Amino acid sequence: MQTERKNVPAFMNPAIFIASSVLVGILFAFQEWISLRHLGYRMAAPIFFESWGFQFLVWGTLCWLLWRFLGAWIQKARVVAILTVVLPLSIAISLGQQMLFVFIFQNLPLNHPEMSYWQRLSMYVYAELLDNMLIFWCAFSLFRGIGYYQQYREQEQAKAALEIQLANAQLAALRMQLNPHFLFNTMNSISSLMRSDIEAADTMLEQLSCLLRLSLERGESQLVSVREELDFIELYLAMQGQRYAGRVTQSVRCDPSLYDALLPSMILQPIVENAYVHGISKTNANSILAIEGSRDGGHLRICVMNSGMGLSPRRLNGRRGVGLRNIEARLKLHYGADASLQVAELDERNVHVTIVLPLQFSSEEEASLTRLGTR
Amino acid sequence: MIRSVLADDEVLARQKLRQLLKEIDDIEIVGECATASETIELVRLTEPELIFLDIRMSDMNGFDVLERLSTDPNRPLPHVIFVTANDRYAVRAFEIHAIDYLLKPFTPVRLQAAVQRVRERLATGESGQNGTAKKQQPEPYTTRMVFKSRGRILFLSVDDIRWIEAQENYVRICTGKDSHLLRETIGSLENRLDPNAFLRVHRSAIVNLHHVKEVKNESDGDATVVLKSGEQVPMSRSYRSKIQKLLKLQ
Repeated sequence: MQTERKNVPAFMNPAIFIASSVLVGILFAFQEWISLRHLGYRMAAPIFFESWGFQFLVWGTLCWLLWRFLGAWIQKARVVAILTVVLPLSIAISLGQQMLFVFIFQNLPLNHPEMSYWQRLSMYVYAELLDNMLIFWCAFSLFRGIGYYQQYREQEQAKAALEIQLANAQLAALRMQLNPHFLFNTMNSISSLMRSDIEAADTMLEQLSCLLRLSLERGESQLVSVREELDFIELYLAMQGQRYAGRVTQSVRCDPSLYDALLPSMILQPIVENAYVHGISKTNANSILAIEGSRDGGHLRICVMNSGMGLSPRRLNGRRGVGLRNIEARLKLHYGADASLQVAELDERNVHVTIVLPLQFSSEEEASLTRLGTR
Repeated sequence: MIRSVLADDEVLARQKLRQLLKEIDDIEIVGECATASETIELVRLTEPELIFLDIRMSDMNGFDVLERLSTDPNRPLPHVIFVTANDRYAVRAFEIHAIDYLLKPFTPVRLQAAVQRVRERLATGESGQNGTAKKQQPEPYTTRMVFKSRGRILFLSVDDIRWIEAQENYVRICTGKDSHLLRETIGSLENRLDPNAFLRVHRSAIVNLHHVKEVKNESDGDATVVLKSGEQVPMSRSYRSKIQKLLKLQ
């Protein structure tokens, strides 16, 4: 029952519903009173408003009760049920309503004090039963209409939820493709270092643990702050810097006002990894890797620059490796057309990879472990 | 010699510690244990100055061990270096005044730094942490801090801070070879630090006077604080007389 009551229009609130019904009654009363005056009859206004108002008050209440207790059933009822149950119900309710009305307003019709209850009732049934049934069926149609509206809304919402789920699943899948690749390469490096330089292997193992801790901590969260991402990337750079000691100069710069801006987690690491694999690793000395975060109007721009080999002809034609394609897909899933990834060759040695995405800031404070203490 | 006990329920974890500590001359390992109850017994028996303590052990955790040990007011508690794979307990460890918190796997360098902190603490003649027994007046200023930086837990003594730079909602804490970004405002940090050691020299900089070499006057009337490490921190005019007075006092 409860779940059926989602997306109920505001006018089905009992107070609003019954009040609107009474308002309709008053409008009818007003109309009748005006038209009678027009025909030359002079009558006291209150009896019109009382009788019409009462009639629609009763109808409003009846219809609302009908909605409250039979609404869900009415929405689902089939033709047979409508003919065998709702039709007799409509007659019974209309009759009942009229019996109540005639009972309450003893002096109606006006100027016929000699008529008995049954005479007056038969007169009213004769004149208004069909009108009354019309009111009933209007309410019936309204309930059915609300039913269709609810169904439509539920379908829409289910569809939207499904889309979000799908996007999350895709994002998770993309993220998983990024991690293991890096993970196993690093383990291989450690395995190699174990034979030649135990200290370096130890250091790299510690750094890898720190990286894993950071990425596990992020868990399922898709967006992280720039500072967290840079924290992660600096650790990654430290590892690469060790591997390429003496061959590369690294720098990370970012406008401090952007530290709390959000970006998809692990979005930079594949770009930096690419810079190493395709650029820096292929040169002998004096390579540069620079990361710069800046503000570009309402957008966050992060540029990864590396010197090295330049782009291969294939890459120049816009073909991208799986790493960059993943990043593009993730940007698109998160921001649609409002984000971009660009790869450009500055000259034959320098390559720029730039991502631009809408500037957003986290609304919630991240939990911090920082504590200050006295001795 | 720093008499030490190793407590970890894993053989290989103890082996690593033993091997690395063997290379540190002033550490003497007086015993090893694999369970919490063994640890309590061993510490009561040998009264070490230092314990390397795992947090998760089969019977009790490391904090329970310390609590049991602290019920005996006649014996000083050993200093504690936690060695654990879990970063969740860092704040708790910091609050009971542990010396350091090593996350597994750790490097020899990291271990040596932790032992150095023990030496410093022993030199000041303080006994172990967890002060039910000691009821000193606490110092009003921060002397140590814990934070996370690049996946590492750091217990930092403020003496190691050379200078602090404000960066919007963050501060960068520079300790020489490293720097760490914390989500803190420079103003709140300034209030917590001892004004006799830490001086705000600029809207966005605090320096540790113990690391200051000199104040250099620039031709345009401004000044630069030069640290012993050679780093230069810009200084606002208004702070110059203050720093010169403080430097003379030292």
